[in-house]
Amino acid sequence: MAVALQILASGFAAGTVYGLVAVGHSLVFRLTGVVHFAFGELIALGVFVTLLAAAGNEPVSQTSVAGARFLLALVVGLLVTAVASAGAYFLAIEPYRARGSVIGWVGASLAVAFAVRTLLVVFFDRPAYVFPDPLPFRHVADDGFWHVGGATIQVRSIFVAVAALVLAGLGVALLQRTRFGRALEAIAQDFDAAVLVGLPVGRLVGLAFALAGVWAGLAAILAAPSAAFDVDAAARYGLYGLLAAAVVWFDARRALAAGIALGLTQAAVTSVHLGTLELGAAYRDVVPLALGLLFFAWRARTTTEVFE
Amino acid sequence: MTAFADAFHELRIGWRRRTTYAFAAFAIAALAPLAFGEARTADLAGGLYLACAAVGLAFAVGVAGLPSLAQGAFVAVGAVVAAHLLAAGIPLPLAAVAGGLGGSSAGGLVGYAFARLPRAGFAAATWIVSWLVAFMLQSITWFLGGSEGVVVGGGPTASGHYELALALTGLAALGYLALARSPIGLRLAAARDREAAAAALGVPVLRLRVVAVAASGAVAGVAGAFAVQLAGVGDATQYGPFLSFRLFVVVLVGGALAPLGAPAGILVLGVLSVAADFVGRLENVAAARAHTLLTAIMLLGIVSLGWEGIVRAPKRRRRAGPGSGPDRARPATLEARALGKAFGNVVAAQDVAVGIAPGRITALVGPNGSGKTTVLRMLAGTIEPDEGSVVVAHGSVARTLQATAVFPTLTPLEHVLVASAGRRSRAGLVRSLFSTPQARAEDAAYVAHARAVLDRFGVLHDVPAGELPVTDQRALMIAAAYATGASVLLVDEPTAGASTVEAARMTGLLRSLRDEGLALLVVEHNLGVVRRLADRVVVLDAGRVIADGTPDAVAADDAVRAAYLGRRSF
Repeated sequence: MAVALQILASGFAAGTVYGLVAVGHSLVFRLTGVVHFAFGELIALGVFVTLLAAAGNEPVSQTSVAGARFLLALVVGLLVTAVASAGAYFLAIEPYRARGSVIGWVGASLAVAFAVRTLLVVFFDRPAYVFPDPLPFRHVADDGFWHVGGATIQVRSIFVAVAALVLAGLGVALLQRTRFGRALEAIAQDFDAAVLVGLPVGRLVGLAFALAGVWAGLAAILAAPSAAFDVDAAARYGLYGLLAAAVVWFDARRALAAGIALGLTQAAVTSVHLGTLELGAAYRDVVPLALGLLFFAWRARTTTEVFE
Repeated sequence: MTAFADAFHELRIGWRRRTTYAFAAFAIAALAPLAFGEARTADLAGGLYLACAAVGLAFAVGVAGLPSLAQGAFVAVGAVVAAHLLAAGIPLPLAAVAGGLGGSSAGGLVGYAFARLPRAGFAAATWIVSWLVAFMLQSITWFLGGSEGVVVGGGPTASGHYELALALTGLAALGYLALARSPIGLRLAAARDREAAAAALGVPVLRLRVVAVAASGAVAGVAGAFAVQLAGVGDATQYGPFLSFRLFVVVLVGGALAPLGAPAGILVLGVLSVAADFVGRLENVAAARAHTLLTAIMLLGIVSLGWEGIVRAPKRRRRAGPGSGPDRARPATLEARALGKAFGNVVAAQDVAVGIAPGRITALVGPNGSGKTTVLRMLAGTIEPDEGSVVVAHGSVARTLQATAVFPTLTPLEHVLVASAGRRSRAGLVRSLFSTPQARAEDAAYVAHARAVLDRFGVLHDVPAGELPVTDQRALMIAAAYATGASVLLVDEPTAGASTVEAARMTGLLRSLRDEGLALLVVEHNLGVVRRLADRVVVLDAGRVIADGTPDAVAADDAVRAAYLGRRSF
């Protein structure tokens, strides 16, 4: 029981962030038929620009940044992410999508991924970063941790999970209730028809790319103070999000659930002991990815109609 | 002796300027160790092993059209297998073979699991595979000794490795060429252009794609095995997704449609890494990072210019020769009884019986939405009926898709060869790779047969099919269906959107096939054509057969008139 609670507590928060990234992947794929390989790196860009604006390139402690400055930094970071996401779409993806060249957009979006990653690694060359936390979770309960029924729960992770779910809800409302959302739905259903009826398709899709980046970037920034952070951590968000989105073939709602499932699997791998078998943190990437791929392969071979 | 003379003769007439350039490039490259020091030669050898792996990838990307991002992972599998065998004292050649087997098994597995996905899904899946393998190498120390690596001793000198790598790259390029020209490569290219049309011609798309990924994995595995021996240590950090990305870039830069594209791409990347060293020294940035950045920026530039690679696809020539081409189709009948099919609540076909006899043209007509296409797909075996059965007595069935479903980059000659490939007995992977005399003789005979078929259908042989007039494209698809050797042809709307003259040409062709003894079923909207063409007419309405008989009898039927009321009458 304690183990289950522990898994739920530590896996759910990470899972909601994966889920939100997966929703971003789904939105992008539904609109353009393109897999956004640079998503994780663009999220990393948002997190690091926020860090830079909040605290400069000096080592920071969790408490060293005041709320107002952090808010300003957040705005700057998200703006940069939005511009970079939209820019990546117009410069690197749209030209090949228009030409129907799969090989072209695969290469181009990977090129964006590695270009952003290298730039980040050049400027942020310490192995791991502490991200400042403007919210005083460390004063809640026992230094920021609750002890419930034998499990230790980081109070912060509950905040992250709730915030990510609220973001997901806002996203759904935006897509279902607004003119912008209905226009995107039209583009997703028939790109050429949307062009024909006079929708400014290029601008709308660029905006959708930017928003997907902002949404996922915000979730990652909210989650960042929970643990040490580096470029690879953000790249993992992109990767897990892609896996979660792909196994449900880019269906946004199920992608959120698949992301949460991946997060829970990961937490299970790190905390479960079965008799003498203890997987531990070394397998926290291997096992979820392997299981996810197996599930993906099984679906790919049995339910072909889904994949259109 | 005559076999050698024949081979020499073939080589001479097949020789082109391109071949001379390729040979000259290899000869000059072989002299490189004389000009460079031992350390530089080792670097070059490492680059060539990469080139070799990239040639394998180019086959999957270019010929099969699969955007594989797992080639680096296959290299890693070869390296892991070889590192363990070498550490246990197994000689290098055996370890390399084992590495190749490991790479091809990994490739086959990935192909089996994901080749059914659309290309975007395949790219995503192989990308995740790349990451998974990288994480496995890092966290499971058994594979490559974790952060310490597995030390591999002995082996040839740097120059030895260099010449070995050069020879291996040459062999990989020859293998690419042989496979791309073979029925395997042709059918893969057809499936790359239009998967559904290829499947309708009987191309086993999934199986061939698995073969393609496994073959490219085999090359990667062998290259990985040699490269780990050259490096002297199996280092887990060398095989991350960046390696897969780099190989993909090499293929894109050099050109995926030519066997020597990948080596050309490696050359560009090598020049770039020298430039990166220089830039790195100027800007005080580690060279490896500057290199990654330059690679990414160059790739963006190259793909945004619509670049197709340094080395373009060679012009393909094919020699016709004597020998036995495919046999003519034997007369066969198709009997469908009590077919039923429902999609959810919609009943698309109910209790449908159709018989197709040799030397006869049966027309399947009906208003829009009457279930014609569903019935056709059940007869072709594309979908399983919920009820009833389809029996084909001694023969096979081929189907054409509606209107213009040609493979735009293939020539008409290649279309017919794709279709007839299913009947060949000497066109397997091994025979194609080694281009055995039997395979070459069969090839020549089938080319002769294909040219004869095209002459009969009045279609040009050697231009890209996408450039043919639409009426020729229709004739070509029927020619291809005919060349599969099927005794029963299912033809979907041969005259849709055609002018009167074009329609007359199609009816003439279909009649000539009937007179040859084939059994034809034609789905047709143009009732005038049906009346002139068909020996028997089956009328569908709302998924049921409402009339079945000669055109005149059917035209006089009240039920048919009612179904077509407000439409054109016979």
